[in-house]
Amino acid sequence: MAFVAEQLLNALALAALLFLVSAGLSLVFGILRVVNFAHGVFYMLGAYLAFTAVTVSGQFWLSLLLVPPVVGIVGALLEASTLRFIYRRPPIYQLLLTFGLALILEESVHVLYGPTAKGVDPPALLQGSVQVLGAAYPRYRLFLVVLGVAVGVAVWLFLTRTRAGLVVRAVAQNSEMADCLGADVPRVRTLVFGAACALAGLGGAAAAPMTTAYLGMGVGVIVDAFVVVVIGGLGSFGGSMAGSLIVGAAQTWGAFYLPETAMVIMYAVMGGILIFRPWGLFGQEE
Amino acid sequence: MTLARTRALAPAALAALAILPWVLARHQLSILVDLLIFGLFAMSLDLIMGYTGMVSFGHAAYFGLGAYGSALVLIHFEPPIPVALLAGALLAGVVAAPVGWFSTRATGIYFAMLTLAFAQLLYTVAYKWRDLTGGSDGIAGVPKTTLFWGGPSLAERRTFYYLVAVIVVLSLLACRALVRSPFGRALQAIRENEHRFVSLGRDSRPFKLVVFVIAAAFAGLAGALFAPFRGFASPEVMFWVLSGQGLMMVITGGIGTLVGPLIGAMVFLLVQEILSSYTEHWMIFTGAVFVLIVIFLPGGVVGAARRWFEARA
Repeated sequence: MAFVAEQLLNALALAALLFLVSAGLSLVFGILRVVNFAHGVFYMLGAYLAFTAVTVSGQFWLSLLLVPPVVGIVGALLEASTLRFIYRRPPIYQLLLTFGLALILEESVHVLYGPTAKGVDPPALLQGSVQVLGAAYPRYRLFLVVLGVAVGVAVWLFLTRTRAGLVVRAVAQNSEMADCLGADVPRVRTLVFGAACALAGLGGAAAAPMTTAYLGMGVGVIVDAFVVVVIGGLGSFGGSMAGSLIVGAAQTWGAFYLPETAMVIMYAVMGGILIFRPWGLFGQEE
Repeated sequence: MTLARTRALAPAALAALAILPWVLARHQLSILVDLLIFGLFAMSLDLIMGYTGMVSFGHAAYFGLGAYGSALVLIHFEPPIPVALLAGALLAGVVAAPVGWFSTRATGIYFAMLTLAFAQLLYTVAYKWRDLTGGSDGIAGVPKTTLFWGGPSLAERRTFYYLVAVIVVLSLLACRALVRSPFGRALQAIRENEHRFVSLGRDSRPFKLVVFVIAAAFAGLAGALFAPFRGFASPEVMFWVLSGQGLMMVITGGIGTLVGPLIGAMVFLLVQEILSSYTEHWMIFTGAVFVLIVIFLPGGVVGAARRWFEARA
């Protein structure tokens, strides 16, 4: 029982991180119709900025509060200065543009922070472990689960219960019609892109105490996040939630029972789902 | 570029390819071989990307399969190179068939993501299957062997260069014939309007599957040349970075032109070569150059050259 609970919590903690990244990826696709290859790099940027913030201020909570807006602003500026000009092109150009941005950002972080990984200490409150169903479980991972759920609920409330969320959904559904009805579509795009980057930055900042901040963490997470959104359906918020849980579970149990082939299991699950639903669980046919 | 101009350029390019090994220094010649091998890789990607409209984000996997196939055959049996090339291309094509069968169920971005996922899967297999592939160390000491049984040795650098040059030129001609054939026309019809193609009574999936396998086999051929040239095969050559670079080469050169990606690969690798001699952080500049090309030169080098010639004509 203790073992099952531990594995379940591990899966949930991983799913929470995946969700923070994939929700933004999916949101950006829904609004901008862009698959943002640079999304993982914003996750990495969040982790490194958290390292800086914690080193300078010694305040973990403050860094968790400050890092997302900074990453979001970087993202919004990049969108407004590059992507904005090529929305009319075939989608491949946007994907490739973000690929170029990913290279620039990844290498810039390398220049600024050097090649070694940077560790971040969790705050005193989240150090050590608690008893969960007879098993000692690290507090920090429980916090990740709580954070993931809180952000999920917040974003869902924003999208479904606020006027701004309504505009965002309208642009996702039919951007030309939304434009005609008076929505400032370019502004919505920039803001959504920035918000998605902020979510990824939050994910990175939250992941740093567990995984450290290291080069290549963005690419690692983006590939997993692609699998998540492909399983869940691109552009679907609920889909990225479901996909995160599935991938989190597949990786956790895979790593335990079949350590050599944990990666394979994730792709096998994806392949299996796509045979029956080529556009993902919640996705719509293009 | 008008047809007449293209025809005039072809013999010039061939002559240059023939003369260059006698002009270039040893190091420069090996760079040129690299350019040709990756040019072939980019060209194979253009078959699916430029002519069929299927953007694969996992094309490096087939380059890598070709490299491993040829490396293993050469290490264990030391046959003449053409046998190893065939083995590499065949291995890539055979693995591409089931991947293509799954991936062509989806279109657009989903296709790209599926090919990426399968490529990562193949990368993991190459990484973990230590007994066969040597894991992260890869396979070193791949011999260059001979051209045919009892034939001339390919260890001499110019001989190997000519082998690569001939194969790349023949592949270009083969791909050109392919895209101009009725089959190739069908591919372009699918690219332009798949719904319409289907509503005209043809099933598009068999076409997409076949061209996916052909493109993978050509990528495998490039990889099969790479392994004996560099003397090793490692998981690096299957990594997604190379897939992404392949896309960049195609866009840089000019999508849907075959020759363009060949040129694009050369421009891309030369820029990288030059930048990396000045700074170890060349990726920043490569990324920036690429962003600028995507925004300002959507037709790539060939597209820009075409417009320039047309403006003067």
